Amino acid sequence: MLDRRSLFAATAAVGSFVGAALGGRKAQAATTYTSKNLSPAGDVNKRGTKGRFERIPELDLESKWDFVTGFRKFQQGFSPVAKARINKILEAKGIDPKTKMSYDEALKLVEDDLLVQTSGRTWVSNQQITWKIFQDYYHENADQYLDEMEAADNVGPGTLELNPDMEIPTYIQHEIHIQPGGYVGDAFAGHIYHHGTNSFSAGIPFLGDNEQDQIPIRSVERLPLPEDGKVMRILDMGCGIGRMTVALKERFPEAEVWGIDASGPLVRYAHMRANDLGIDVNFAQRLGEDAKFEDGYFDMVVSSIINHEIPSEDNKKVIAEAYRLVRTGGYYYPIDFRTSGDKGTAYNQYRRWWDHRWNCEPWSPEFVAFDFEGEIEKAGFTINRETKPAQFGFGARHSVKNA
Amino acid sequence: MATSKLKTDRPTYASDFIPSDVERAVFLGNPVLDNMMTSLIALGAEVWSNRRRMKVVEALLAEKGVTAEMIETYMPTAEQDAEWQKDRDRFIDLTYSPLLREGDLPVSAAFTRENK
Repeated sequence: MLDRRSLFAATAAVGSFVGAALGGRKAQAATTYTSKNLSPAGDVNKRGTKGRFERIPELDLESKWDFVTGFRKFQQGFSPVAKARINKILEAKGIDPKTKMSYDEALKLVEDDLLVQTSGRTWVSNQQITWKIFQDYYHENADQYLDEMEAADNVGPGTLELNPDMEIPTYIQHEIHIQPGGYVGDAFAGHIYHHGTNSFSAGIPFLGDNEQDQIPIRSVERLPLPEDGKVMRILDMGCGIGRMTVALKERFPEAEVWGIDASGPLVRYAHMRANDLGIDVNFAQRLGEDAKFEDGYFDMVVSSIINHEIPSEDNKKVIAEAYRLVRTGGYYYPIDFRTSGDKGTAYNQYRRWWDHRWNCEPWSPEFVAFDFEGEIEKAGFTINRETKPAQFGFGARHSVKNA
Repeated sequence: MATSKLKTDRPTYASDFIPSDVERAVFLGNPVLDNMMTSLIALGAEVWSNRRRMKVVEALLAEKGVTAEMIETYMPTAEQDAEWQKDRDRFIDLTYSPLLREGDLPVSAAFTRENK
Protein backbone atom coordinates (compact mmCIF):
# COMPACT_ATOMS: atom_id res chain seq x y z
CA MET A 1 0.00 0.00 0.00
CA LEU A 2 1.38 3.38 -0.95
CA ASP A 3 1.79 6.19 1.53
CA ARG A 4 1.05 9.75 0.54
CA ARG A 5 3.91 11.24 -1.38
CA SER A 6 5.60 7.85 -1.44
CA LEU A 7 6.13 8.10 -5.18
CA PHE A 8 8.68 10.83 -4.78
CA ALA A 9 10.55 12.82 -2.23
CA ALA A 10 11.60 16.39 -1.96
CA THR A 11 15.22 17.23 -1.36
CA ALA A 12 14.59 20.95 -1.20
CA ALA A 13 11.70 23.08 -0.14
CA VAL A 14 9.87 25.29 -2.56
CA GLY A 15 8.47 28.55 -1.20
CA SER A 16 4.71 28.59 -1.02
CA PHE A 17 4.49 32.27 -1.79
CA VAL A 18 5.83 32.64 -5.25
CA GLY A 19 4.53 36.13 -5.67
CA ALA A 20 2.39 37.68 -8.32
CA ALA A 21 5.36 39.71 -9.53
CA LEU A 22 6.73 36.55 -11.07
CA GLY A 23 3.58 36.00 -13.08
CA GLY A 24 4.31 35.09 -16.66
CA ARG A 25 7.35 33.02 -15.87
CA LYS A 26 7.58 29.69 -14.26
CA ALA A 27 7.86 30.83 -10.71
CA GLN A 28 10.35 28.32 -9.41
CA ALA A 29 12.73 26.00 -11.20
CA ALA A 30 11.73 22.38 -10.87
CA THR A 31 13.29 20.83 -7.82
CA THR A 32 15.30 17.64 -8.21
CA TYR A 33 13.92 14.66 -6.39
CA THR A 34 16.32 11.87 -5.75
CA SER A 35 14.88 9.56 -3.16
CA LYS A 36 11.59 7.74 -2.83
CA ASN A 37 9.23 6.63 -0.12
CA LEU A 38 9.42 9.85 1.83
CA SER A 39 6.47 10.35 4.12
CA PRO A 40 6.86 13.92 5.38
CA ALA A 41 5.95 15.07 8.84
CA GLY A 42 2.27 15.89 9.17
CA ASP A 43 1.36 13.41 6.47
CA VAL A 44 -2.09 11.92 7.09
CA ASN A 45 -2.99 8.70 5.39
CA LYS A 46 -5.14 6.53 7.58
CA ARG A 47 -6.35 3.84 5.26
CA GLY A 48 -3.96 3.72 2.34
CA THR A 49 -4.60 4.42 -1.32
CA LYS A 50 -6.68 2.79 -4.01
CA GLY A 51 -4.99 3.48 -7.29
CA ARG A 52 -4.46 7.25 -7.35
CA PHE A 53 -7.13 7.89 -4.74
CA GLU A 54 -6.33 8.26 -1.06
CA ARG A 55 -9.07 6.30 0.61
CA ILE A 56 -11.70 8.16 2.63
CA PRO A 57 -10.10 8.34 6.07
CA GLU A 58 -12.61 6.34 8.13
CA LEU A 59 -14.60 3.26 7.29
CA ASP A 60 -17.91 4.68 8.52
CA LEU A 61 -17.34 7.90 6.61
CA GLU A 62 -16.57 5.90 3.49
CA SER A 63 -19.76 3.89 4.00
CA LYS A 64 -21.83 7.05 4.38
CA TRP A 65 -20.25 8.34 1.18
CA ASP A 66 -21.18 5.04 -0.43
CA PHE A 67 -24.75 5.49 0.75
CA VAL A 68 -25.25 9.06 -0.47
CA THR A 69 -23.71 8.02 -3.79
CA GLY A 70 -26.11 5.09 -4.05
CA PHE A 71 -28.96 7.40 -3.13
CA ARG A 72 -28.02 9.74 -5.98
CA LYS A 73 -28.29 6.82 -8.37
CA PHE A 74 -31.66 5.89 -6.89
CA GLN A 75 -32.68 9.53 -7.05
CA GLN A 76 -32.33 9.44 -10.84
CA GLY A 77 -35.45 7.26 -10.69
CA PHE A 78 -37.42 10.32 -9.65
CA SER A 79 -36.91 11.91 -13.05
CA PRO A 80 -39.39 9.74 -14.99
CA VAL A 81 -41.83 9.75 -12.07
CA ALA A 82 -41.78 13.54 -11.67
CA LYS A 83 -41.84 14.04 -15.42
CA ALA A 84 -44.90 11.79 -15.80
CA ARG A 85 -46.64 13.65 -12.98
CA ILE A 86 -45.88 17.03 -14.51
CA ASN A 87 -47.15 15.82 -17.87
CA LYS A 88 -50.40 14.75 -16.20
CA ILE A 89 -50.73 18.21 -14.68
CA LEU A 90 -50.10 19.78 -18.08
CA GLU A 91 -52.59 17.52 -19.82
CA ALA A 92 -55.23 18.33 -17.22
CA LYS A 93 -54.74 21.99 -18.08
CA GLY A 94 -54.73 21.35 -21.82
CA ILE A 95 -51.05 22.25 -22.23
CA ASP A 96 -48.83 20.28 -24.60
CA PRO A 97 -45.99 18.74 -22.48
CA LYS A 98 -43.49 19.87 -25.14
CA THR A 99 -44.43 23.52 -24.62
CA LYS A 100 -41.41 25.62 -23.72
CA MET A 101 -41.97 27.95 -20.81
CA SER A 102 -40.26 30.22 -18.31
CA TYR A 103 -39.19 29.22 -14.80
CA ASP A 104 -42.14 31.10 -13.30
CA GLU A 105 -44.64 29.41 -15.57
CA ALA A 106 -43.25 25.96 -14.76
CA LEU A 107 -43.08 26.59 -11.01
CA LYS A 108 -46.69 27.75 -10.85
CA LEU A 109 -47.74 24.43 -12.33
CA VAL A 110 -45.79 22.18 -9.95
CA GLU A 111 -45.18 24.05 -6.72
CA ASP A 112 -48.08 22.43 -4.85
CA ASP A 113 -47.49 18.91 -6.09
CA LEU A 114 -45.86 16.91 -3.31
CA LEU A 115 -44.65 14.06 -5.51
CA VAL A 116 -42.83 16.44 -7.83
CA GLN A 117 -41.47 18.38 -4.90
CA THR A 118 -40.24 15.17 -3.25
CA SER A 119 -37.89 14.78 -6.21
CA GLY A 120 -36.30 18.14 -5.42
CA ARG A 121 -36.41 17.75 -1.64
CA THR A 122 -34.68 14.36 -1.60
CA TRP A 123 -31.95 15.57 -3.93
CA VAL A 124 -31.25 18.64 -1.83
CA SER A 125 -31.38 16.70 1.46
CA ASN A 126 -28.95 14.12 0.14
CA GLN A 127 -26.63 16.87 -1.06
CA GLN A 128 -26.74 18.55 2.37
CA ILE A 129 -25.91 15.27 4.12
CA THR A 130 -23.03 14.63 1.71
CA TRP A 131 -21.40 17.94 2.56
CA LYS A 132 -22.14 17.75 6.27
CA ILE A 133 -20.50 14.37 6.88
CA PHE A 134 -17.25 15.57 5.33
CA GLN A 135 -17.19 19.04 6.83
CA ASP A 136 -17.89 17.58 10.28
CA TYR A 137 -15.09 15.04 9.87
CA TYR A 138 -12.46 17.53 8.72
CA HIS A 139 -13.39 20.10 11.34
CA GLU A 140 -13.26 17.47 14.09
CA ASN A 141 -9.78 16.51 12.89
CA ALA A 142 -8.73 19.99 11.80
CA ASP A 143 -5.31 20.18 13.41
CA GLN A 144 -3.88 17.09 11.79
CA TYR A 145 -5.16 18.10 8.35
CA LEU A 146 -3.89 21.66 8.75
CA ASP A 147 -0.54 20.13 9.74
CA GLU A 148 -0.63 18.05 6.60
CA MET A 149 -1.33 21.01 4.33
CA GLU A 150 1.31 23.13 6.02
CA ALA A 151 3.85 20.36 5.43
CA ALA A 152 2.82 20.09 1.79
CA ASP A 153 2.77 23.86 1.09
CA ASN A 154 6.53 24.01 1.03
CA VAL A 155 7.47 20.94 -0.96
CA GLY A 156 7.31 20.08 -4.64
CA PRO A 157 7.68 18.86 -7.28
CA GLY A 158 5.21 21.61 -8.18
CA THR A 159 4.85 25.13 -6.81
CA LEU A 160 2.10 26.88 -4.89
CA GLU A 161 1.26 30.58 -4.78
CA LEU A 162 -1.30 31.78 -2.25
CA ASN A 163 -2.60 35.35 -2.24
CA PRO A 164 -4.62 35.73 0.96
CA ASP A 165 -5.01 39.48 0.42
CA MET A 166 -6.47 39.06 -3.05
CA GLU A 167 -9.93 40.55 -3.44
CA ILE A 168 -12.29 37.65 -4.05
CA PRO A 169 -15.14 38.55 -6.45
CA THR A 170 -18.50 38.30 -4.71
CA TYR A 171 -19.89 36.05 -7.44
CA ILE A 172 -17.64 33.24 -6.26
CA GLN A 173 -18.32 33.84 -2.56
CA HIS A 174 -21.69 32.12 -2.68
CA GLU A 175 -22.03 28.67 -1.19
CA ILE A 176 -21.92 27.09 -4.64
CA HIS A 177 -23.60 23.65 -4.68
CA ILE A 178 -24.64 24.43 -1.08
CA GLN A 179 -21.17 23.21 -0.05
CA PRO A 180 -20.71 24.71 3.43
CA GLY A 181 -18.50 27.75 2.99
CA GLY A 182 -18.55 27.26 -0.78
CA TYR A 183 -15.26 27.23 -2.67
CA VAL A 184 -13.62 29.96 -0.63
CA GLY A 185 -14.98 29.94 2.93
CA ASP A 186 -13.62 26.76 4.48
CA ALA A 187 -10.04 25.65 5.09
CA PHE A 188 -11.00 22.18 3.85
CA ALA A 189 -13.00 23.28 0.82
CA GLY A 190 -10.76 21.11 -1.38
CA HIS A 191 -11.07 17.99 0.75
CA ILE A 192 -14.84 18.36 1.02
CA TYR A 193 -15.28 19.19 -2.66
CA HIS A 194 -13.20 16.21 -3.78
CA HIS A 195 -15.38 13.64 -2.03
CA GLY A 196 -18.64 15.47 -2.70
CA THR A 197 -18.07 15.77 -6.43
CA ASN A 198 -16.96 12.14 -6.67
CA SER A 199 -20.37 11.28 -5.26
CA PHE A 200 -22.12 13.71 -7.62
CA SER A 201 -20.55 12.36 -10.79
CA ALA A 202 -20.97 8.71 -9.78
CA GLY A 203 -24.69 9.41 -9.45
CA ILE A 204 -25.02 10.75 -12.99
CA PRO A 205 -24.94 8.05 -15.67
CA PHE A 206 -23.24 10.11 -18.38
CA LEU A 207 -20.45 11.23 -16.04
CA GLY A 208 -19.81 8.11 -13.97
CA ASP A 209 -17.10 7.25 -11.46
CA ASN A 210 -14.36 9.81 -10.97
CA GLU A 211 -12.42 8.30 -8.08
CA GLN A 212 -9.44 7.63 -10.36
CA ASP A 213 -9.88 11.02 -12.11
CA GLN A 214 -11.51 9.25 -15.03
CA ILE A 215 -13.47 12.35 -16.07
CA PRO A 216 -10.58 14.85 -16.38
CA ILE A 217 -8.30 12.21 -17.89
CA ARG A 218 -10.95 11.39 -20.51
CA SER A 219 -11.53 15.09 -21.24
CA VAL A 220 -7.83 15.83 -21.60
CA GLU A 221 -7.34 12.86 -23.92
CA ARG A 222 -9.99 14.34 -26.21
CA LEU A 223 -8.46 17.80 -26.37
CA PRO A 224 -7.02 18.60 -29.81
CA LEU A 225 -3.42 19.66 -30.41
CA PRO A 226 -2.70 23.16 -31.72
CA GLU A 227 -2.34 23.04 -35.49
CA ASP A 228 1.47 23.23 -35.30
CA GLY A 229 1.55 20.53 -32.61
CA LYS A 230 3.55 22.74 -30.23
CA VAL A 231 2.54 22.45 -26.58
CA MET A 232 5.03 24.07 -24.23
CA ARG A 233 2.77 25.83 -21.77
CA ILE A 234 -0.78 25.12 -20.65
CA LEU A 235 -3.11 26.99 -18.31
CA ASP A 236 -6.04 25.38 -16.50
CA MET A 237 -8.21 28.39 -15.69
CA GLY A 238 -10.37 27.90 -12.60
CA CYS A 239 -8.59 24.67 -11.77
CA GLY A 240 -10.40 23.89 -8.51
CA ILE A 241 -8.68 20.93 -6.90
CA GLY A 242 -6.42 20.50 -9.92
CA ARG A 243 -7.64 17.22 -11.32
CA MET A 244 -7.56 18.42 -14.91
CA THR A 245 -4.31 20.29 -14.30
CA VAL A 246 -2.67 17.03 -13.27
CA ALA A 247 -4.21 15.16 -16.20
CA LEU A 248 -2.82 17.81 -18.58
CA LYS A 249 0.69 17.31 -17.24
CA GLU A 250 0.31 13.56 -17.59
CA ARG A 251 -0.65 13.92 -21.24
CA PHE A 252 1.93 16.64 -21.94
CA PRO A 253 4.82 15.75 -19.60
CA GLU A 254 7.24 18.20 -21.22
CA ALA A 255 4.90 21.17 -20.88
CA GLU A 256 4.90 23.76 -18.13
CA VAL A 257 1.42 23.44 -16.68
CA TRP A 258 -0.35 25.97 -14.48
CA GLY A 259 -3.63 25.85 -12.61
CA ILE A 260 -5.17 29.04 -11.24
CA ASP A 261 -8.24 29.49 -9.09
CA ALA A 262 -9.75 32.26 -6.96
CA SER A 263 -9.91 29.95 -3.95
CA GLY A 264 -6.91 29.62 -1.64
CA PRO A 265 -8.15 26.41 0.01
CA LEU A 266 -8.78 24.78 -3.37
CA VAL A 267 -5.36 25.51 -4.87
CA ARG A 268 -3.74 24.50 -1.60
CA TYR A 269 -5.43 21.12 -1.73
CA ALA A 270 -4.66 20.86 -5.47
CA HIS A 271 -0.96 21.40 -4.78
CA MET A 272 -0.90 18.84 -1.97
CA ARG A 273 -2.63 16.25 -4.10
CA ALA A 274 -0.44 16.85 -7.16
CA ASN A 275 2.58 16.40 -4.94
CA ASP A 276 1.13 13.15 -3.62
CA LEU A 277 0.87 11.96 -7.19
CA GLY A 278 4.40 13.16 -7.96
CA ILE A 279 3.18 15.52 -10.69
CA ASP A 280 5.13 18.72 -11.35
CA VAL A 281 2.45 21.36 -11.87
CA ASN A 282 2.16 24.92 -10.61
CA PHE A 283 -0.84 26.26 -8.76
CA ALA A 284 -1.64 29.87 -8.01
CA GLN A 285 -4.49 31.68 -6.33
CA ARG A 286 -5.38 34.11 -9.09
CA LEU A 287 -8.43 35.18 -11.05
CA GLY A 288 -9.39 34.03 -14.53
CA GLU A 289 -10.12 37.67 -15.35
CA ASP A 290 -6.63 38.73 -14.26
CA ALA A 291 -4.28 35.77 -14.56
CA LYS A 292 -1.07 37.86 -14.48
CA PHE A 293 0.85 35.98 -17.16
CA GLU A 294 2.51 37.61 -20.18
CA ASP A 295 0.56 38.07 -23.41
CA GLY A 296 0.58 34.94 -25.57
CA TYR A 297 2.30 32.86 -22.88
CA PHE A 298 0.23 29.72 -23.36
CA ASP A 299 -0.26 27.29 -26.22
CA MET A 300 -3.49 26.09 -24.63
CA VAL A 301 -5.84 27.72 -22.12
CA VAL A 302 -8.47 25.27 -20.93
CA SER A 303 -11.07 25.13 -18.20
CA SER A 304 -13.54 22.64 -16.84
CA ILE A 305 -17.09 23.60 -15.81
CA ILE A 306 -16.28 27.02 -14.41
CA ASN A 307 -18.08 29.35 -16.82
CA HIS A 308 -21.56 28.47 -15.55
CA GLU A 309 -20.39 29.62 -12.10
CA ILE A 310 -19.60 33.10 -13.47
CA PRO A 311 -21.96 35.99 -14.35
CA SER A 312 -22.10 36.89 -18.03
CA GLU A 313 -20.24 40.19 -17.74
CA ASP A 314 -17.39 38.48 -15.88
CA ASN A 315 -17.42 35.61 -18.37
CA LYS A 316 -16.71 38.19 -21.07
CA LYS A 317 -13.67 39.34 -19.07
CA VAL A 318 -12.51 35.73 -18.68
CA ILE A 319 -12.82 35.16 -22.42
CA ALA A 320 -10.89 38.39 -23.11
CA GLU A 321 -8.15 37.29 -20.71
CA ALA A 322 -7.97 33.88 -22.39
CA TYR A 323 -7.55 35.63 -25.73
CA ARG A 324 -4.72 37.73 -24.31
CA LEU A 325 -2.97 34.66 -22.87
CA VAL A 326 -3.16 32.35 -25.88
CA ARG A 327 -0.35 32.63 -28.43
CA THR A 328 -1.16 32.90 -32.12
CA GLY A 329 -2.01 29.40 -33.36
CA GLY A 330 -2.90 28.24 -29.87
CA TYR A 331 -6.37 27.75 -28.50
CA TYR A 332 -8.84 28.29 -25.68
CA TYR A 333 -11.12 25.39 -24.85
CA PRO A 334 -13.60 26.00 -22.03
CA ILE A 335 -15.44 22.77 -21.19
CA ASP A 336 -18.90 23.55 -19.87
CA PHE A 337 -22.58 22.86 -20.40
CA ARG A 338 -24.35 23.69 -23.60
CA THR A 339 -26.18 27.00 -23.58
CA SER A 340 -29.67 26.29 -24.77
CA GLY A 341 -31.64 29.36 -23.77
CA ASP A 342 -33.72 30.27 -20.75
CA LYS A 343 -36.91 28.42 -21.70
CA GLY A 344 -37.63 24.72 -21.62
CA THR A 345 -40.29 22.13 -20.94
CA ALA A 346 -42.04 22.34 -17.58
CA TYR A 347 -40.11 19.39 -16.20
CA ASN A 348 -36.71 20.67 -17.36
CA GLN A 349 -37.45 24.13 -16.03
CA TYR A 350 -38.43 22.74 -12.65
CA ARG A 351 -35.15 20.78 -12.43
CA ARG A 352 -33.12 23.74 -13.60
CA TRP A 353 -34.87 25.94 -11.08
CA TRP A 354 -34.14 23.89 -7.97
CA ASP A 355 -30.60 23.29 -9.13
CA HIS A 356 -30.19 27.06 -9.47
CA ARG A 357 -32.13 28.14 -6.41
CA TRP A 358 -31.60 25.33 -3.93
CA ASN A 359 -28.35 23.76 -5.06
CA CYS A 360 -26.98 27.29 -5.18
CA GLU A 361 -25.98 27.68 -8.80
CA PRO A 362 -26.41 31.47 -8.71
CA TRP A 363 -25.42 32.14 -12.30
CA SER A 364 -26.70 29.07 -14.14
CA PRO A 365 -29.88 30.68 -15.58
CA GLU A 366 -27.74 33.54 -16.85
CA PHE A 367 -25.26 31.08 -18.33
CA VAL A 368 -27.80 29.00 -20.24
CA ALA A 369 -29.07 32.23 -21.82
CA PHE A 370 -25.52 33.48 -22.53
CA ASP A 371 -24.28 33.54 -26.12
CA PHE A 372 -21.04 31.84 -25.12
CA GLU A 373 -19.86 30.92 -28.61
CA GLY A 374 -20.81 34.39 -29.89
CA GLU A 375 -18.79 36.09 -27.17
CA ILE A 376 -15.80 33.83 -27.81
CA GLU A 377 -15.87 34.80 -31.48
CA LYS A 378 -16.35 38.48 -30.63
CA ALA A 379 -13.14 38.30 -28.58
CA GLY A 380 -11.26 37.25 -31.73
CA PHE A 381 -11.20 33.46 -31.60
CA THR A 382 -12.41 31.22 -34.40
CA ILE A 383 -14.39 28.24 -33.11
CA ASN A 384 -13.52 25.00 -34.88
CA ARG A 385 -16.97 23.46 -35.35
CA GLU A 386 -15.52 20.09 -36.37
CA THR A 387 -14.05 19.39 -32.93
CA LYS A 388 -16.07 17.02 -30.79
CA PRO A 389 -16.90 17.79 -27.15
CA ALA A 390 -14.08 16.95 -24.76
CA GLN A 391 -16.74 15.84 -22.30
CA PHE A 392 -19.78 13.94 -23.54
CA GLY A 393 -22.95 16.00 -23.24
CA PHE A 394 -21.09 19.31 -22.97
CA GLY A 395 -20.45 22.07 -25.49
CA ALA A 396 -17.51 21.87 -27.92
CA ARG A 397 -15.74 25.22 -27.91
CA HIS A 398 -12.35 24.67 -29.50
CA SER A 399 -11.48 28.34 -29.95
CA VAL A 400 -8.42 29.01 -32.11
CA LYS A 401 -6.45 32.25 -32.07
CA ASN A 402 -5.51 32.92 -35.66
CA ALA A 403 -2.81 35.29 -36.87
CA MET B 1 -21.37 37.57 4.51
CA ALA B 2 -20.30 34.82 6.87
CA THR B 3 -16.98 33.63 8.18
CA SER B 4 -15.64 30.11 8.38
CA LYS B 5 -17.28 27.80 10.90
CA LEU B 6 -13.84 26.45 11.78
CA LYS B 7 -12.34 28.42 14.63
CA THR B 8 -8.56 28.33 14.58
CA ASP B 9 -5.70 30.78 14.85
CA ARG B 10 -3.79 28.95 12.13
CA PRO B 11 -3.74 30.16 8.52
CA THR B 12 -6.59 28.60 6.58
CA TYR B 13 -6.62 30.79 3.43
CA ALA B 14 -10.41 30.75 3.71
CA SER B 15 -12.26 34.00 3.11
CA ASP B 16 -15.72 35.35 3.82
CA PHE B 17 -18.58 33.74 1.99
CA ILE B 18 -22.24 34.38 1.22
CA PRO B 19 -24.31 31.71 2.96
CA SER B 20 -27.06 29.92 1.11
CA ASP B 21 -30.55 30.06 2.58
CA VAL B 22 -31.20 26.40 1.74
CA GLU B 23 -31.91 25.67 5.42
CA ARG B 24 -35.09 27.71 5.04
CA ALA B 25 -36.33 25.87 1.96
CA VAL B 26 -39.75 24.25 2.16
CA PHE B 27 -40.50 21.92 -0.74
CA LEU B 28 -43.30 19.90 0.80
CA GLY B 29 -45.63 22.58 2.09
CA ASN B 30 -44.66 22.05 5.72
CA PRO B 31 -41.12 22.28 7.07
CA VAL B 32 -41.77 19.30 9.33
CA LEU B 33 -42.27 17.12 6.27
CA ASP B 34 -39.08 18.48 4.73
CA ASN B 35 -37.21 17.77 7.94
CA MET B 36 -38.54 14.24 8.11
CA MET B 37 -37.30 13.61 4.61
CA THR B 38 -33.80 14.77 5.50
CA SER B 39 -33.85 12.70 8.70
CA LEU B 40 -34.98 9.67 6.77
CA ILE B 41 -32.09 9.93 4.34
CA ALA B 42 -29.59 10.57 7.15
CA LEU B 43 -30.97 7.51 8.95
CA GLY B 44 -30.34 5.52 5.83
CA ALA B 45 -26.71 6.67 5.79
CA GLU B 46 -26.26 5.60 9.41
CA VAL B 47 -27.91 2.23 8.96
CA TRP B 48 -26.00 1.55 5.79
CA SER B 49 -22.68 2.41 7.40
CA ASN B 50 -23.42 -0.16 10.11
CA ARG B 51 -24.37 -2.79 7.61
CA ARG B 52 -21.29 -2.12 5.53
CA ARG B 53 -19.07 -2.33 8.57
CA MET B 54 -20.62 -5.67 9.42
CA LYS B 55 -19.78 -6.89 5.98
CA VAL B 56 -16.18 -6.02 6.63
CA VAL B 57 -16.28 -7.82 9.95
CA GLU B 58 -17.88 -10.87 8.43
CA ALA B 59 -15.35 -10.95 5.65
CA LEU B 60 -12.52 -10.70 8.13
CA LEU B 61 -13.93 -13.27 10.49
CA ALA B 62 -13.45 -15.77 7.75
CA GLU B 63 -9.78 -15.24 8.12
CA LYS B 64 -7.50 -15.76 11.07
CA GLY B 65 -6.37 -13.23 13.66
CA VAL B 66 -8.94 -10.47 13.29
CA THR B 67 -7.78 -7.09 14.66
CA ALA B 68 -9.37 -3.63 14.75
CA GLU B 69 -6.75 -2.38 12.34
CA MET B 70 -7.58 -5.17 9.95
CA ILE B 71 -11.23 -4.17 10.06
CA GLU B 72 -10.46 -0.51 9.54
CA THR B 73 -8.18 -1.08 6.58
CA TYR B 74 -9.98 -3.92 4.88
CA MET B 75 -10.01 -3.38 1.11
CA PRO B 76 -13.02 -4.96 -0.60
CA THR B 77 -12.42 -6.92 -3.76
CA ALA B 78 -14.05 -5.77 -6.96
CA GLU B 79 -16.46 -8.70 -6.66
CA GLN B 80 -17.32 -7.78 -3.10
CA ASP B 81 -17.79 -4.16 -4.09
CA ALA B 82 -20.21 -5.17 -6.82
CA GLU B 83 -22.09 -7.52 -4.52
CA TRP B 84 -22.27 -4.95 -1.74
CA GLN B 85 -23.49 -2.29 -4.09
CA LYS B 86 -26.27 -4.60 -5.19
CA ASP B 87 -27.24 -5.07 -1.57
CA ARG B 88 -27.05 -1.32 -1.04
CA ASP B 89 -29.41 -0.74 -3.93
CA ARG B 90 -31.83 -3.34 -2.50
CA PHE B 91 -31.65 -1.53 0.83
CA ILE B 92 -32.32 1.83 -0.79
CA ASP B 93 -35.14 0.39 -2.82
CA LEU B 94 -36.82 -1.02 0.29
CA THR B 95 -36.42 2.15 2.27
CA TYR B 96 -37.18 4.82 -0.27
CA SER B 97 -39.31 3.34 -3.04
CA PRO B 98 -42.41 4.29 -1.01
CA LEU B 99 -41.54 7.89 -1.81
CA LEU B 100 -42.40 7.19 -5.43
CA ARG B 101 -45.94 6.08 -4.52
CA GLU B 102 -48.57 8.23 -6.14
CA GLY B 103 -51.55 7.84 -3.74
CA ASP B 104 -54.76 9.63 -4.68
CA LEU B 105 -57.41 8.61 -2.13
CA PRO B 106 -58.18 10.96 0.75
CA VAL B 107 -58.61 9.49 4.22
CA SER B 108 -62.34 10.10 3.91
CA ALA B 109 -62.65 8.18 0.65
CA ALA B 110 -65.67 5.89 0.50
CA PHE B 111 -64.96 2.18 0.99
CA THR B 112 -66.00 0.30 -2.10
CA ARG B 113 -66.94 -3.11 -0.75
CA GLU B 114 -68.10 -6.16 -2.58
CA ASN B 115 -70.29 -8.94 -1.24
CA LYS B 116 -71.50 -11.21 -3.95
